[in-house]
Amino acid sequence: MFKRNFAAAVLSALAVVGIVGSGAGSAPAEARPMDVGASYATISGIGSTWSANAIQQWARNVLSNYQWKVNYSDAGSSAGRQAFALPNGGADFAVSEIPYALKNSDSVDPVPARQFAYMPIVAGGTSFMYNLVIGGKRVTNLRLGGATVSKIFAGAITKWNDPAIAADNPSLALPAITIVPVVRSDGSGTSAQLTAWMRSQFPDVYAGLCQKAHKPGVGGSSLCGITSNFPALPGFKAQSGSNGVAGYVAQPQYVGSITYVEYSYALNSHFPVAKILNTAGYYTEPTAGNVAVALLKAQINQDQSSTDYLTQILGAVYTNPDPRTYPLSSYSYMLVPTALEYGFTLNKGKTLAAFANYFLCQGQQDADVLGYSALPINLVQAGLDQVLKIPGGDPTTVNIAKCNNPTFSSDGSNKLATTAPQPQACDKQGKTQCATGTGGAANISTSGSNGGSSGSTGSSGSSSGNPSDGGTVGSSGSGASVSGGSSDTRPLTVAGKPMTIPTSSVTATPGLIAAAVAVLLVLGAIFVPPIMSRLRPRDRPRNVSPTRPRRRATKSAIPKVHLQSVRRERAPTPSSTEGS
Amino acid sequence: MSGDLLVDQPRTLTTKHDRSDVPFRLGTRSASFVVLGIMSLAGVFLLVQGGQALGADGPKFLTTQAWDPNSGVFGIAAVLLGTIFIALTAIVVAVPLAAGTALYISEYAPRQIKQTLVTLVDLMAAVPSVVYGLWGLFLFQPGIQDSTRADAHQITPGAVDVSQFLATWLGWIPIFHVDGFNPSDPLTTKTIFTASTFIAGVVVAMMVAPIICSIMREVFTQAPIGEREGALALGATRWGMIRSVVLPFGRAGMIGGTMLGLGRALGETIAVYLIISPIFTIQPHILQSGANSISALIALRYSEASPFEISALMAAGLALFIMTLIVNFGASLIISRSRSGASSD
Repeated sequence: MFKRNFAAAVLSALAVVGIVGSGAGSAPAEARPMDVGASYATISGIGSTWSANAIQQWARNVLSNYQWKVNYSDAGSSAGRQAFALPNGGADFAVSEIPYALKNSDSVDPVPARQFAYMPIVAGGTSFMYNLVIGGKRVTNLRLGGATVSKIFAGAITKWNDPAIAADNPSLALPAITIVPVVRSDGSGTSAQLTAWMRSQFPDVYAGLCQKAHKPGVGGSSLCGITSNFPALPGFKAQSGSNGVAGYVAQPQYVGSITYVEYSYALNSHFPVAKILNTAGYYTEPTAGNVAVALLKAQINQDQSSTDYLTQILGAVYTNPDPRTYPLSSYSYMLVPTALEYGFTLNKGKTLAAFANYFLCQGQQDADVLGYSALPINLVQAGLDQVLKIPGGDPTTVNIAKCNNPTFSSDGSNKLATTAPQPQACDKQGKTQCATGTGGAANISTSGSNGGSSGSTGSSGSSSGNPSDGGTVGSSGSGASVSGGSSDTRPLTVAGKPMTIPTSSVTATPGLIAAAVAVLLVLGAIFVPPIMSRLRPRDRPRNVSPTRPRRRATKSAIPKVHLQSVRRERAPTPSSTEGS
Repeated sequence: MSGDLLVDQPRTLTTKHDRSDVPFRLGTRSASFVVLGIMSLAGVFLLVQGGQALGADGPKFLTTQAWDPNSGVFGIAAVLLGTIFIALTAIVVAVPLAAGTALYISEYAPRQIKQTLVTLVDLMAAVPSVVYGLWGLFLFQPGIQDSTRADAHQITPGAVDVSQFLATWLGWIPIFHVDGFNPSDPLTTKTIFTASTFIAGVVVAMMVAPIICSIMREVFTQAPIGEREGALALGATRWGMIRSVVLPFGRAGMIGGTMLGLGRALGETIAVYLIISPIFTIQPHILQSGANSISALIALRYSEASPFEISALMAAGLALFIMTLIVNFGASLIISRSRSGASSD
């Protein structure tokens, strides 16, 4: 027996050596640009929750239309960059809002050894979703100045009735409720976007945050760096993932909470977002049009030889003087491998290139409905050029003119930005305040007049989860979002929802029936096995000894004694009996 | 040999192993050594992986209340204590619950429903922890409310309401104090009670109670029938019999079960991860929002950590490993030294 084991061990050792040897021989497989993958292999990506709603929708679309399997795990931008940098991280692509080795960042985050390129995937706005109720009615038209919202997230403003918030909202009687800022507990590109904006626009406020969080300055400045791990100060809530923070704020009784998430999460939660004051003095919402307008000022790294090619510098976006600007607009990036290493194969490249071609072209039409903003033509073109660097991709050219992207126009300007509606007069800084709702609560106005307000905002993505309604609003208001002619090629879009339990279904009948069935199943699972097990052995003893009743046998195991009478007689005279 | 009978010589006992005995003994012996080896390898692995961070941080690792390994400021003072606070809350809730359930099942329950109750408790132990976490996060913590109404009409009260009650009436006890809570302020939001040590602890209690309960039940049923009958014959009531026979006999088993539950509570990850709002300062006010535990910290940060951060997380894991080991060794020591444990050993 021992000898046989030894022989098997020797054999397996030889086999291992053989595999290692052959692997070493074929390891340096350089990809030639002409190689095309033979089939569509399943690819997996990891990263940003900010853009997850768009990516997961696109992945569903390509699965149902073309059977390309794309798995995407929304673990956060930091986790995405880290997994992409690991040789065995299992990430064929990653998605991040910020590049590796970000300037003025508080972490090192080194550029990985693997070869990769940045590819812009979608634009969007980092919105401030909030839960505020005044007199039993949900507030949906909150406005906040940039300094005010920075102070909220720096812990400097702690009550909703703070004079700074009251000045922004002349028509609201704000209550003295504590503000509960909800921040991300995991490493997040959204946190990085927010802190980058705070650090650049409100350094004094950001210095206060640095001091409270005991964070040292970086880059020769006394200010602490841009961080992906937002410091949770006392009174803050930290939750993991965009779904986590949005799900927290969306709990009806957590009144007073406010968080920062991509606009799509507010739409899906049917919760309002704060309108943010821009340089022109208007309070704006991160609609597709407003984001597109703001990003006209984004500086894109055009140096093709740089490793940071196509990454963004947003300083000018924050101060864009156009009155339609939403200041916290940004692009999100996919990190695509450009060499066959770290487990990337030609077949995976074929899927990734095809997927990227899909979402850069057709997929951008969904951006508006999902709560994002489509990429402009120059970034789509640059992105498609990056796709060609993916080994294994099919280089058949995508006809960019047929993409039907809402930003494309015949003269090369950004159509989405040029046709974006101007803000209403009541959105201007001053004594008036629009009553219309925002974000996922666009159809709920805050003061009584619900009349013609729903269409007048012209916010193209105002009604989520209802694409047909969004289409009509878009065509009458801005004309930018969903053109009717393209509806035949558009796959059905349903935005991903954050995890919430639909408590309202308690009153709904189908929900009740489903609940009753579930309860019955659970009860059955609990009670049927013991009953079955008791029923079965009853037959057997009867065959053996039918005369002996089973009941008596069980009772004799624990003797029953009439204790009460015994004790009562003993109790009155304990000493007298013992003493005599 | 026949004349030298004055001195007793103990006869040397030799065991002649059967042919089938030898491989069996070899198999069981190697299996037990493999178990030992795996456990010590886990410890060595954690020590090696965490060595870099431990070397850089030194003894500060045990006293710093921060977690920022990239800038060199990190330590487990807050997370270690947070872990202990959550585990202790869980034990305080779980042990009376488990002891009562175990006593009822073993002593009072009619035979007809006994097996059903045992199945129920076992079922509770079989529910995955992520289910407990989601239940705690969305149903237990906030209670069920009518989401169609903006004023958050409650259908059932949630754990935050219990927290509010405790903070209102028992707030003078230091651990129940909540900073910034004023019971007479009608605008107080319940958010200050969410994501707290108390709520995480109660959810963990639901997870460890079945384990504790089944250990206690086993021990209680082992109480010798002769002594039970003796107590009853001497005129004890059923409760008197339990107090004088079952509980003293099972005391060590109760302590051991509690310690095993504590060991599990210390390591519980995903339910805690879902519920808490992680903070890195020591938070002794268990009702107040903000808590942390080592396993939740590792789950939260592992995927995005740089190599040095991973080393720091491994060092934190080592601390948890050692603590759990101590608790479990203590538990097995107590069990094996007891009467009930010795017979089952």
